[in-house]
Amino acid sequence: MILGFLPVDSFNVIVLAAVFVLVATGLHFTFGMLNVVNLVHGELILIGAYTTLQVQRTTGNVLLGMALAPLAAGIVGVAMERGVLRFLYDRPLDSLLATFGLSVIIRQVVQFVFSPNPQIVRSPIGGSFLLGGFNIPWWRLIIVLVTSVLLVGVIQFLQRSRFGLHARATVANPLLAETMGINSGAMRAGLFALGSAIAGLAGAMLAPISTLNPQFGLLFLVNSFLVVIIGGKGSLRGLVVAGIVLGGTLAALQFVMSTVMAQILILAIAIIGVRVRPLLGLLREWRGRRPLGSAV
Amino acid sequence: MTPLLEVDNLATGYGQSKVLRGVSFSVKPGEVACIMGRNGAGKTTLLRALMGVLAKTGSVRLAGEDITHWAGHRVNAAGMVWVPQEDSVFSGLTVRNHLTIAVHGRREEEEGLEAAGALFPVLGERLEQEAQTLSGGERKMLALAQALIVRPKVVLMDEPTEGVAPVVVEQLIPAIAASTKESAVVLVEQNIDTALALGQNAYLLEQGSIAVSGTVRDLHDRGVLEQRLAL
Repeated sequence: MILGFLPVDSFNVIVLAAVFVLVATGLHFTFGMLNVVNLVHGELILIGAYTTLQVQRTTGNVLLGMALAPLAAGIVGVAMERGVLRFLYDRPLDSLLATFGLSVIIRQVVQFVFSPNPQIVRSPIGGSFLLGGFNIPWWRLIIVLVTSVLLVGVIQFLQRSRFGLHARATVANPLLAETMGINSGAMRAGLFALGSAIAGLAGAMLAPISTLNPQFGLLFLVNSFLVVIIGGKGSLRGLVVAGIVLGGTLAALQFVMSTVMAQILILAIAIIGVRVRPLLGLLREWRGRRPLGSAV
Repeated sequence: MTPLLEVDNLATGYGQSKVLRGVSFSVKPGEVACIMGRNGAGKTTLLRALMGVLAKTGSVRLAGEDITHWAGHRVNAAGMVWVPQEDSVFSGLTVRNHLTIAVHGRREEEEGLEAAGALFPVLGERLEQEAQTLSGGERKMLALAQALIVRPKVVLMDEPTEGVAPVVVEQLIPAIAASTKESAVVLVEQNIDTALALGQNAYLLEQGSIAVSGTVRDLHDRGVLEQRLAL
């Protein structure tokens, strides 16, 4: 049994952990940094997936669709931020209601344009390779690799670029940032666009291993919030750990119980995690280390 | 000499609450204008309005240019800087990060860091330290350094010596005086000694308007400051 679990099943654990991290990374920007309870995050993933589908239908080129998906989601994201959400940063309940409304609108538009019927996006790189006598699908491996590269890129970008420095300053204190010469409005729009584009990329990457329908984005919404909250809102390193723990645990549990039971257990773990995390933060502060929840 | 800052009939407030009305004054290069008044008189509100983070009516001109309706980042880029009374650091960012943001687009980063170190040597020694872990006095030094190393046209300072140990105040006052010889300074101050040490003209705010103005020395000698500030 244990031998049978390795390596192909353990690879699935890695894949699901990567999926959790991938779908939550976009939310790190919009919710973790900008503090918008972004219920439209799932629909930004949906836009990425359906952009890929549409380009596949039009040109037959899936990879082109995947390249355009972040652009489409980013444009929609920045339009929402500039058009609606920028007026609501100090009104969290109103922004929650606005993002809920926007999510319903986008879902209905997608359903109207593409129909509620299931759709298939083909994998741009099909097939698998043998590892220790087990088949490892190429596309799933690529999801893991893209997620890893994305994370390293995002962390480096926020830590080393001028945009990253100005973004962290804006998130920490928008008023002070503005008076020190940072265009805080443009910075927030940039962060929202970036988070939306990453959500679009996630949708494009996950479309080939799923069946598309207008509810596609909702599948990832709750888990994205779980990962960001348990990881420590605003902490990318915490997000990675939470994504690996939750995604990996869910995948592992699915081998020994039904998916529904596994998801229930994951939610229980999440609730315990939310309860315990502040205690861990206190412990770390007591030890004189950096508190949880730093910007990167 | 042409004023660097001209404020004419300025009115502002928060929502329906009007805090300031009909405020007019001007500040020339090398002049320190002290804005004084009791708590709640609207001193900090005036600085926020001048800095472009609070909507206002009337007119504000910086070096002859109308900046009344400019956003804060444009006001800063035009040469006006703000030293807030509190809440002056970004959590999670180092001293170097703060100074880098301050000098962006104004002068070379290394040159700016050296200038900050020359102004307050302790900052040069703590470039990699997170600013939120600095002492209160060191935070004031950082806030002042951010403002002064960019060679600003106008400096808005909100009680820079408030809550700071006397030994630190002895370092701050000469540094401010030396760094603002060519700038116009608007200094919000409650401490009469600091106002006497730095300021030339004083404007006393009462009920949202300038009630009394004159030189700091004259107002002090006649006992007006002590009487109006109820000290």
